[in-house]
Amino acid sequence: MKNRLRVLRAERDWSQADLAQRLEVSRQSVNAIETGKFDPSLPLAFKLSRLFETTIEAIFSDES
Amino acid sequence: MICSIKSPVERRYVIRMWIAAALCVLFSAVAALVFRHGHPHGALSYLVAVLPALPIIGALIYTGVYLAEEKDEFQRNLLVQSLLGGTGGILAVITAWGYMEDFAHAPHMDLVWVYPLFWLFAGISYGLVRARYR
Repeated sequence: MKNRLRVLRAERDWSQADLAQRLEVSRQSVNAIETGKFDPSLPLAFKLSRLFETTIEAIFSDES
Repeated sequence: MICSIKSPVERRYVIRMWIAAALCVLFSAVAALVFRHGHPHGALSYLVAVLPALPIIGALIYTGVYLAEEKDEFQRNLLVQSLLGGTGGILAVITAWGYMEDFAHAPHMDLVWVYPLFWLFAGISYGLVRARYR
């Protein structure tokens, strides 16, 4: 699944470690989600949307 | 298997696993000594013989507890996939070896090897799964 995490992170000048700390997950988790290799669960997607103050659809997009 | 310990849950899991491993070694030594010098019989012999398996059962329960306690779904996913790899690997080996014992009279494989081999396969799986997400 494609996502805009890297852009959203860059806008706030956050490192992967910063985002991981805010989400209470490991940096590896953030990297796996950001590179599209791991799709987060709905609760984690909601957590991301709250953190970036936007909708889930604005962060993630279905590749198909 | 877990190279860099980050969360308290992970740290607790690793400590518990080390304690289980140490107890397994200790209980194995105790059981060996009892059977060498005490020659237990009947129910007592079963009780002493099963001693080293108790920490192993504990370690399997700790693994389940870790999966329940770990809040990081990606880390949980890594471990679940590794455990599936370990389970598949050991099932494949003992099934193949069983047939080799039956038909080709291969040397008997002691069942105590199942547990360490399971973790060996789980460790290999963990490395492969981690590499896929890099």
